[in-house]
Amino acid sequence: MKAEKLAEWVEHASGGQGLAQSDQGPRFPTTRDERWRYTRAGAIVGRPMRPVATAGQAPDSRPLPCLDAWRLVFVDGHFDSANSTLPDAGDLAEGVFIGPVSEGSKRFPEQASQWGHGHFSKTEWFAALQSSSAQDGACILVPAHLDLSSRPILIEHHLSGPGIVSHPRNILHIQQGAKAEILLWTSSDAHADGLVNLALDARVEADAELKLEYVQDEQGRNAHISHLAITQLEGSRLDMHTATARAHWLRNDVRIEQAGERGVSNFNGCFAAAEDEFVDHHTHVDHAQPDGRSAELYKGLALAGGKAVFNGKIVVHPNAQRIEAFQKNSNILLERGSTVYAKPELEIYADDVRCSHGCTTGQFDEDALFYLRSRGLTRPAAKRLLTQAFLSEALNGARAEVQAHVEAVMLTRINPA
Amino acid sequence: MLKIKNLHARVEGQEILCGLSLEMGSGEVHAIMGPNGSGKSTLASILAGRDTYEITEGSIEFMGVDLLALDATERAVAGVFIAFQYPVEIPGVSNMNFLRTSINSIRDQKGEEPMPAKDFLAKVKQCAKLVELDGKLRDRSVNEGFSGGEKKRNEVFQLAMLEPLLAVLDETDSGLDIDALRIVSSGVNALRSAERSFLIITHYQRLLDHIVPDRVHVLAGGRIVRSGDKSLALELEDKGYDWINEELAQ
Repeated sequence: MKAEKLAEWVEHASGGQGLAQSDQGPRFPTTRDERWRYTRAGAIVGRPMRPVATAGQAPDSRPLPCLDAWRLVFVDGHFDSANSTLPDAGDLAEGVFIGPVSEGSKRFPEQASQWGHGHFSKTEWFAALQSSSAQDGACILVPAHLDLSSRPILIEHHLSGPGIVSHPRNILHIQQGAKAEILLWTSSDAHADGLVNLALDARVEADAELKLEYVQDEQGRNAHISHLAITQLEGSRLDMHTATARAHWLRNDVRIEQAGERGVSNFNGCFAAAEDEFVDHHTHVDHAQPDGRSAELYKGLALAGGKAVFNGKIVVHPNAQRIEAFQKNSNILLERGSTVYAKPELEIYADDVRCSHGCTTGQFDEDALFYLRSRGLTRPAAKRLLTQAFLSEALNGARAEVQAHVEAVMLTRINPA
Repeated sequence: MLKIKNLHARVEGQEILCGLSLEMGSGEVHAIMGPNGSGKSTLASILAGRDTYEITEGSIEFMGVDLLALDATERAVAGVFIAFQYPVEIPGVSNMNFLRTSINSIRDQKGEEPMPAKDFLAKVKQCAKLVELDGKLRDRSVNEGFSGGEKKRNEVFQLAMLEPLLAVLDETDSGLDIDALRIVSSGVNALRSAERSFLIITHYQRLLDHIVPDRVHVLAGGRIVRSGDKSLALELEDKGYDWINEELAQ
């Protein structure tokens, strides 16, 4: 990609904001960069796209319509108040905020001055672009010791049509001892072909708990890059599920920093890449302080012509003793001509730690298939049951509605023969 | 109901069955006994429909249908059930979901409606009782973390649920302690009927103390070398397989 061409693309895609470039700043990623070795970002910047000044059409129905939740809907990076379901300000405890960042930053200017642009904006080119062109997104503020988990908050981001790029920015701040349950949901119109360039910065303070479920169910041929940076303070807990149920070209970057002692981070993911699809999950957990725990389970499926990447990094810093960190990644190649690149990365600089990782990539167990068939299941039905079983381990602990939706979409889509 | 005629089968070029013939009527219980390496497991695998064996000659007819032309799924639909010697563990698939899918898949292929949930649950309760399979085992993933005896009881539980016309028990007694042997056998005895036949493949006579066969066949060198009533099993127990081998050598 020529520099002038890229600059021209940036000019459009940033809505004229440009990209603050310096010698130290992140460069455009190529397959020569280890973190982008299997991920070709060049194709994204090969087609022109722009952010839109006013939102396009929201989808007709809301995801998980039966779920009783506060709902924040964003279309093309703009807040859609008509389709959102929000509490009246007076109904909530002092200091709670559930709304768009555009409003939250006005209501809580002091807090807003501390919302950075996450870890990735300094290291990743697309995140830097996201930060310089940031649009609206959800802002959830939960003051100390408040349990907000009785009613989940569903944040929906939709891309409405062709030629559009969105740069949603989401802020989650769960203060000391508080609890929240948040669902992040992305969708796109069948004609969408641009880019969702999403950032989420979460701060989970001491002894606070965040349950985060992230469903990506996008119908279009758009690209999607997510930058999720989560900082955990001492004694905090994160339970996270990420499910890429449907996406054409997607990269998820997750970084969890245990910046305090005794952090607990459980994070699972599942994904499926069908023909002509690309899914890339990069995760990174930073154990910067002692006595933390992390458990990670990612499961992937690939069909003929589909390509998936899993890269799971665990870093244990020199002073972070007594860490327990577990990572497991299993992938199934459902058909000939499917590809999964899997790479666990462990960097351990402390000596008193328990770390383990396991990574398998293979096909369905023929003995299990035969056993099911000998009980009257057809081969497709047996594969379907095994697929469901395979996914269920990664979805375990997510809301039943989320599990059901993700399983239904994935099973319909991959429909193994 | 089952007619095996002059069956020859090879595994990796080596002939394991060389002219096995066997006939069973409806409602009959036959036992196949034989020393290690005589071809017992090969016969079970062939009946199950595994594709690791090459049939070079002979035929198997089940209820007037060419069994060898059916794949594993179709055999189950036709009413053949194999209680495996080594049941597979399937993590993430609950026993109940597995059985519901299995029963309804068979019904669907026969053009029948799915079994109503209420009937299914009643049947589960009744069949689990038969093999003393407690609720926890029923709700767990298929065979996952089951002991050897629990796996075999789970096989007989599935047998009871699927109500086949022919049940092949492949070394179901291996690895069973006395209690499990009693439970498994009484389960099988309760399932005997005028329509249902059992082919019991075993190395030892002890299972036949509990499940009394109508006919006993001795498999050696890939053929049935001797058939008789239940007293043949006792004779084998008494004299060992060497007796057969010696007699054959003469």
